[in-house]
Amino acid sequence: MKGYKRVSLVNYLYIMPVLVLIGMIFIYPLIQVGILSFYDIRMGAQEGLFVGLDNYRLIFSEPVFWKSIKSTLIWTFCSLILQLIIPLGMAILLNQKLKGVHFIRTSILLPWIIPMVALAVSMRWMLMPGMGIFNEVLKNTIGTQINFLGSQSAAMPTLIVLNTWKILPFGTLLILTALQTIPEEIYEAARVDGANFWRQFIHITFPLLGKVIWFMGFLVLVWNFNTFDTIWLTTEGGPGHIMQTLPILVYRRAFKVFRLGEGAAIATIGAIFLIVVGVLYFKFLSPKRDNES
Amino acid sequence: MGTKRIKNLLTNVGVIALLLIILFPVAYIFVSSFKPLSELIMTGTGFFPQKPTLANYTSLIFVRTPIRNFPVFLLNSLKVSIGTALFSVLIASLGGYGLARHQYVGRDILAQSMLFIYVFPTVLLLIPIYKMFQSLKLIDTHLGLIIIYTALSAPFCTWLLTSFFKTIPLELEEAASIDGASKMTIFLKITFPLAASGIVTVAVYSFIIAWGEYMFASILLSSSKNRTATLGLATLTAEQYIEWGPLLAGSILIILPVIVLFFPVAKQFIKGFMGGALKQ
Repeated sequence: MKGYKRVSLVNYLYIMPVLVLIGMIFIYPLIQVGILSFYDIRMGAQEGLFVGLDNYRLIFSEPVFWKSIKSTLIWTFCSLILQLIIPLGMAILLNQKLKGVHFIRTSILLPWIIPMVALAVSMRWMLMPGMGIFNEVLKNTIGTQINFLGSQSAAMPTLIVLNTWKILPFGTLLILTALQTIPEEIYEAARVDGANFWRQFIHITFPLLGKVIWFMGFLVLVWNFNTFDTIWLTTEGGPGHIMQTLPILVYRRAFKVFRLGEGAAIATIGAIFLIVVGVLYFKFLSPKRDNES
Repeated sequence: MGTKRIKNLLTNVGVIALLLIILFPVAYIFVSSFKPLSELIMTGTGFFPQKPTLANYTSLIFVRTPIRNFPVFLLNSLKVSIGTALFSVLIASLGGYGLARHQYVGRDILAQSMLFIYVFPTVLLLIPIYKMFQSLKLIDTHLGLIIIYTALSAPFCTWLLTSFFKTIPLELEEAASIDGASKMTIFLKITFPLAASGIVTVAVYSFIIAWGEYMFASILLSSSKNRTATLGLATLTAEQYIEWGPLLAGSILIILPVIVLFFPVAKQFIKGFMGGALKQ
């Protein structure tokens, strides 16, 4: 143990590179985005003009911003619910004794690893009315077609399902890991006492999974809130602003309309929302290590 | 025993249904990338191509214009992804080794915060990163992308490698140090090779992150000769008349390397991920 007591500065050199990188790409920009939101900066100009709260005043007065908030909330929470329930079911299914467990577990990771760009552009073809396979199936079964990405009512549910399909493996793997830590004896004891599948689930599995589910819920909520590729590459926020969530609005305002200051203000509002959610999570919902039952 | 058999049957049906849902889109994109245009734009032509053709691939590769130069885009992606993998391995193995072997003030918090980075909203950081890269003259360079992608993957890689290095017995290093080996020699000759499977996993993970990224590439790369493959593919859809065939072929060319690289290390990745997740 002798080497362990000496805390030399040289030791810090090992973790310096990763810390510098985190500081440069995550921490500094987070502070900077707040500062930029008080300036009127156009794309291309180096220096902006300090305008105080003007960017915020402008944004709060725009109906398109409030519509965006609404879309963001619907998108985030509907995705969250699906992305908690479906992986739970999948993990319970895959936790059974199965043939080819390794192959199955590897295969279910597929949606998670394939690049979203490739999926999104191919999906545009598959979802197209009169051309894609999904509408072909609909036409042959119920005799009608849906303009999945092109109609205001269908775009949101369609993209929520697509996004859920992409994120499923993460939650499934996480819950599966947690399930495998529950000793089989507990279930055997419960079966001896005559508990059926549902009772076992509600009284054993669910309470023991609580911690993992809250952790996953938090991660998935933040990821959904930040989704960009899935939406931008399929509908660019349309049709008619219905999919214009905050990240899409930030991107459009900053890099399509070239008003960086206003984009930064919208980004800051999003960041504040996430910080509030984060603080609430760690204060009230975060698993406490000592009062585990 | 009857109920048990029914339960088994239901489980198997469930697993098969699940695999179909998971595998169908990619399988369908793959077979469709060999279909001629007439089959792509008409319904009722079936799952498999009736007249299989390589035309979509040849058109994508050989019909080139400055804004539609897919072979160059693929090479750009390869360059950026390999760069990212190298930097990530270097930075994460140093960081992981440091966190596993040395005592720091707040070491546990540091190790935990490696994962906390992943709740950072990257979209919201786009504007300041753009401004910063403007003053660093990194706009429209591949180096700029490599820096961002390394930052995106290095924290997770560091965290994964920390647990790998912890499994290597300290005695091995101590023995070498008694024999007079320097710290750098110990790290390069003993620890690094023993953590090889972890290092390969990390390299593949960071390669995949860089290979599939779109958002940062779309704002940082301005000239068409510098485009990465994801960006090139996305711009195909922006044209007036979308050529679905080359688009599907391009999707497959982007998906395939990821699958080929990932599946050999999948077991290792799941193990690392599960081992780490349990400690949370």
